[in-house]
Amino acid sequence: MSVLSILVFLPLLAGLVVIMLPTAQQGRYKYIALGATLLQLLLSAFVYINFKTGADFSGVHQRRQFQFVEQTSWINLDLGTLGRLQIDYFMGVDGLSMPFLFLTSLVMFVAVLASWEIKTNLKGYFALFLLLDMAIIGVFVALDFFLFYLFYELMLFPLYFLIGMWGGVRREYAAIKFFLYTLCGSVFMLLIIIGLYFSVTDPLSGSHTFNMIHMMDPANYVGGSIFSPSAGQQLFGISARLLAFIVLFIAFAIKVPIVPLHTWLPDAHVEAPTPVSIILAGILLKIGGYGILRICYSIFPEAAIDSSWCIGLIGVVSIIYGALNALAQTDLKRLIAYSSVSHMGFVLLGFASLTAEGISGANMQMISHGFLSAMLFFLAGVIYNRVHDREIANFRGLSLLMPKFTAFCMVAFFASLGLPGFSAFMGESFSLIGAFTSESVNGLIPRWMAIGGSLGILLSAAYFLWTFQRMFFGELRLMGGEDWRIQLTDVNTREKIALIPLALMATLLGLFPALVFEKMNSSVLELIRLVNP
Amino acid sequence: MIPVTHFMIISAILFCIGLYAAISKRNAIMVLIGIEFMINAAILNFVAFGAYDKEVNGGQIVALFAIVLAAAGVAVALAIILNVYKYYKTIDPDKIHNLRD
Amino acid sequence: MPLISFVWVSTLAKRGSGISILSILCSLILSAIVFTRVWNGQPQHFQVHWFSVGSYHLTAGILLNNLSAGMILLVSGVAFIVHLYSIQYMRSDPYLRRYWRYLSLFCFSMMALVVVDNLLVLYMFWELVGFTSYLLIGFWYKRDYAVQAAKKAFIFNRIGDLGFLAGIMILLNQFGTLNITELFGDGGAISNAMIEDGVWISGTHQMPAVWLTLAGGAFFFGAIAKSAQFPLHAWLPDAMAGPTSVSSLIHAATMVAAGIFLIARIYPIFDQNILMLMVITGSITSFMAATIALVQNDLKQILAFSTISQLGFMMLAMGIGAYDAALFHLTTHAFFKCLLFLCAGAVIHQLEYFKQAAKIEFDCQDIRNMGGLKNYMPITFTAMLFASMALAGLPFTSGYLSKDSILLYSFDWASSQTGLMSLVPYLAVLTSLATTFYIARLIFKVFFGSFRQKQRIPVLEPPSIMKVSLMLLVLFCVFPMFSWNPFSVENSWILKGFSADVQVLSQSRLLHILVPLLVTFVSFALIYLASIVYSKRDGDGSVTQVARDSFIYELFYHQWFINKLYNVIFVIPLMYLSRVSSILDNKIVDGLVNGAGRSVLFLGALSTFVDRYIIDGIVNLLGSISKSIGNVTRHFQSGRVQHYMITMILLLLTFFIFKYFS
Repeated sequence: MSVLSILVFLPLLAGLVVIMLPTAQQGRYKYIALGATLLQLLLSAFVYINFKTGADFSGVHQRRQFQFVEQTSWINLDLGTLGRLQIDYFMGVDGLSMPFLFLTSLVMFVAVLASWEIKTNLKGYFALFLLLDMAIIGVFVALDFFLFYLFYELMLFPLYFLIGMWGGVRREYAAIKFFLYTLCGSVFMLLIIIGLYFSVTDPLSGSHTFNMIHMMDPANYVGGSIFSPSAGQQLFGISARLLAFIVLFIAFAIKVPIVPLHTWLPDAHVEAPTPVSIILAGILLKIGGYGILRICYSIFPEAAIDSSWCIGLIGVVSIIYGALNALAQTDLKRLIAYSSVSHMGFVLLGFASLTAEGISGANMQMISHGFLSAMLFFLAGVIYNRVHDREIANFRGLSLLMPKFTAFCMVAFFASLGLPGFSAFMGESFSLIGAFTSESVNGLIPRWMAIGGSLGILLSAAYFLWTFQRMFFGELRLMGGEDWRIQLTDVNTREKIALIPLALMATLLGLFPALVFEKMNSSVLELIRLVNP
Repeated sequence: MIPVTHFMIISAILFCIGLYAAISKRNAIMVLIGIEFMINAAILNFVAFGAYDKEVNGGQIVALFAIVLAAAGVAVALAIILNVYKYYKTIDPDKIHNLRD
Repeated sequence: MPLISFVWVSTLAKRGSGISILSILCSLILSAIVFTRVWNGQPQHFQVHWFSVGSYHLTAGILLNNLSAGMILLVSGVAFIVHLYSIQYMRSDPYLRRYWRYLSLFCFSMMALVVVDNLLVLYMFWELVGFTSYLLIGFWYKRDYAVQAAKKAFIFNRIGDLGFLAGIMILLNQFGTLNITELFGDGGAISNAMIEDGVWISGTHQMPAVWLTLAGGAFFFGAIAKSAQFPLHAWLPDAMAGPTSVSSLIHAATMVAAGIFLIARIYPIFDQNILMLMVITGSITSFMAATIALVQNDLKQILAFSTISQLGFMMLAMGIGAYDAALFHLTTHAFFKCLLFLCAGAVIHQLEYFKQAAKIEFDCQDIRNMGGLKNYMPITFTAMLFASMALAGLPFTSGYLSKDSILLYSFDWASSQTGLMSLVPYLAVLTSLATTFYIARLIFKVFFGSFRQKQRIPVLEPPSIMKVSLMLLVLFCVFPMFSWNPFSVENSWILKGFSADVQVLSQSRLLHILVPLLVTFVSFALIYLASIVYSKRDGDGSVTQVARDSFIYELFYHQWFINKLYNVIFVIPLMYLSRVSSILDNKIVDGLVNGAGRSVLFLGALSTFVDRYIIDGIVNLLGSISKSIGNVTRHFQSGRVQHYMITMILLLLTFFIFKYFS
């Protein structure tokens, strides 16, 4: 067993321990989960530190350039005339996935700390939670498409129950909406995976394979097969590869989410319990972005180039539309949820530009949003936990009552609205710079998209400041009167432990973006070479 | 020589009487007697047609065999009736409908 | 170079007044050392590798030349004095520690802003000063209007920041570097780039030439917002909701000057169109703000509009190419406007004490409630008088030197212009006269005449530390600090330091004598007029009474209705748009999804119906048929031997009959 496997299966092990322990000891479950995530955090820090950079370790479509690789044959069936069914247990990281490992482990750690508020059915909760943890890490390290899909679907199942059982008032509605949305995307993804399987062969054994890295090399496609780049097959009148790209893109874009497909997000975020909101916003949205880069762009590069104009447009629309919606919300969690839509729009804009700055900026934005949205949801959870209300209008002058909480909120809000010195600024500005340079570098998206996207920065300042003013400033006035005043205590030590690393990461990455940029730079350049040679 | 038709008429009459008795009588003994009638009607037919088999006399032999069997059957039947009577205190077949289930 | 250390000292200074002042003193001394080394010497440049993205390698570093050395001395000097002043001014505030923390953060970011060598880093500090200004405006966060003002300031600045960011994008795209020396230095990328056939070419990259104008416009837009120029000036008057010491430091002396500083720093990028735009913006702003200041009644508001007006002057000077004069005016303005604010602060502060002591209720910032204060606060009065004279540009003050140089430059420039643009200097002169008038009005209303409150106890002079800081600033308002000859701008060492070609001015000697003379003369006349109108107790004389009814008064008083205009044009539609999009999201997008869900549910119900009644029906029908058959045949099994017998015989008979007939 090497690092990645341990990283993936450690939560599963902890989950098993939770299941084994009798219910009488349910007070210990959270400490087990905390220990597991802490260990995971240390491991991913180990991966981060030992991650080598440079052109020889860029990864993307070179198997030997991946790091911490594990590859063993997993399923190897002889199907007679159908050939061999070959599925590998194949994991590895490169510059594109490694930062997300660290993000995931940190956000998971914080989410466990936020789970202190869960009071019912602890065994089920922590078991599902740890299962989710495993699946998410698995998605980020899997390099076999089948394995990827397995983890991808495995993720849905605990989330559905976590939202549906421990959520808010309309939890069933939200859970089902979430489940159907994502399932809708991934079912079609399965079709594409099967199509790819029959189109790609392993150059060594000659049998069909699910290996993603083989899928990225046009030489491995069977001549005349459906997704072969040279055959140019058509489905429903459009190129099969373009269709496959669109289907996969939609599957991931639902996760991101893009504008017409985003409505699961506010509901799921609002109804989910705080830790699940944190995971949803902090990590799950990033899986969409990661999938687009790792799979859509790498496997179907020419389709990516063809559709980049549309992707850029979707990005701009998401930015502005999400921001406008956020401005109109009255529920704190909904506001944060819509701000997520807006912020993830920058990611798509950066991707569409296909420039080094754009993609690095988009990745930076994802990581920064991971920390910041986790922080925002945690903060919203702090209030909700105390008085079970999230309506912005019901709070006023909170800074008098909860000064430390206000300070954290200030960091989170101002970092989210892209104040320089925080990571979101780096992400947003480089996404925009990438989008802007695109016209003169590769001519993929016009410059006005970058200008349009920058309006989102202005709007985000408007809605965050407005909220901040309404909730924290002015004279103290609470809807719940004296009861609330007593219940609204300032953040405690546990909450501080959760918030400080997030705030620290956001600041650190804002001041020293090299911590992320340098690690992924060669991979990003390699990806661009692959997509747009 | 008496034509074979007459034998057949007699045996038909006997059979019908027996059938009537077996179906309609409210006494198991009478039903048994009706059955005997029908058996004897059949035996009569055997004997009458036996006249056409002079070499092996198959008809007479079967008739004799049937009489023996009938006697044995009656003995068994009577024994059953006695037991039925002991159990149900009646021999009216209408009142004995445990066979239904 | 001890520069890094002083930057760090200011960041560390986050606790208490003592450390804060100590650190700012350190900064002052260090920047003075830096200044003496760099001024008129070789520009100094240090940089470290920051990070790389793709093929871009971004560096962060410090660039010291005359401009930044001068600015840093200015900033640390003014900041030091304001720190001193704040000790007394903020003494009784319950959130004193927070105040010092914010103030130190501001000083740090402002000083970093002026020395950094990279546009992206500059942008970071540019926003950071906006952010600290937000914090300080909203310092008294219990007051709603303060918070509103803070938000407004931040958002207005953000609008400008977008321009700045767009400019950065254009430059990064075109030149692949954001280093100021590489871009704007001698033989840098900008000067090597050229325009051919409408295409802007630099090295390997090229763009349509319009992007050069746009880049300049974008940076200019950023500067407009920061320096509160029309049409983005509306935040500055509101920003007066912060403590007065903050207003004086941030919103008079330093931060608002950052816009001018930015323009100076990247001067080579602006092409003719943008320079023209600067002239227009500058003159409109200065004129508009001066007219508004004529009729305002709030002490701080008058000064705020005066600041806007003076910044307009600087912008105008930048536009006409008087780069050096603009910076000179920036320097002198920083000192005298800071002094004005501090004096105003002293007046307000003492009136607050008076109000508490005398237990009467009145608005301490309304100049209609003041009057005759010169008898109670002679030192403050003297300081204010000097500052006002500098602002009005009377001889022997620093303002005379700098403002007249701008006026002269503008006359010079106008002689080469035709049409409407040749009116610019006259507008500037008019503005300058309006300035004289409103500041005279202010002085007379506040310090002359008699006190307008019933008084039992005297209003006191401010405490000594405040007086010391006022006096320090008075020093900087008089001519010898800047030029030994009170009438000769050319001899000013700052002007010489900022620019090499001062001789341009000397060419038009006649104008040089005539214009200041005329302006000074009319100024004195106006001051006399103001003294007649305002110094009496019934200051609202017949002259003002007539004016009050007119439309122009309304227009000026309501600040040209720009706030309302913004509300109507931007805020309300934006809120409306957001509500519409929210409805769109809830009703249409979500409605579609829910509709899809509902139609699936309907399909499900339909299939349930089919399942239950049709498919199940068929199965049930079969079942019930066999059941009824069973029911019929059940009767055969009566348990009666004789019935069985009948059945058997009937069946036998039927069999025979069928056998017989078939």
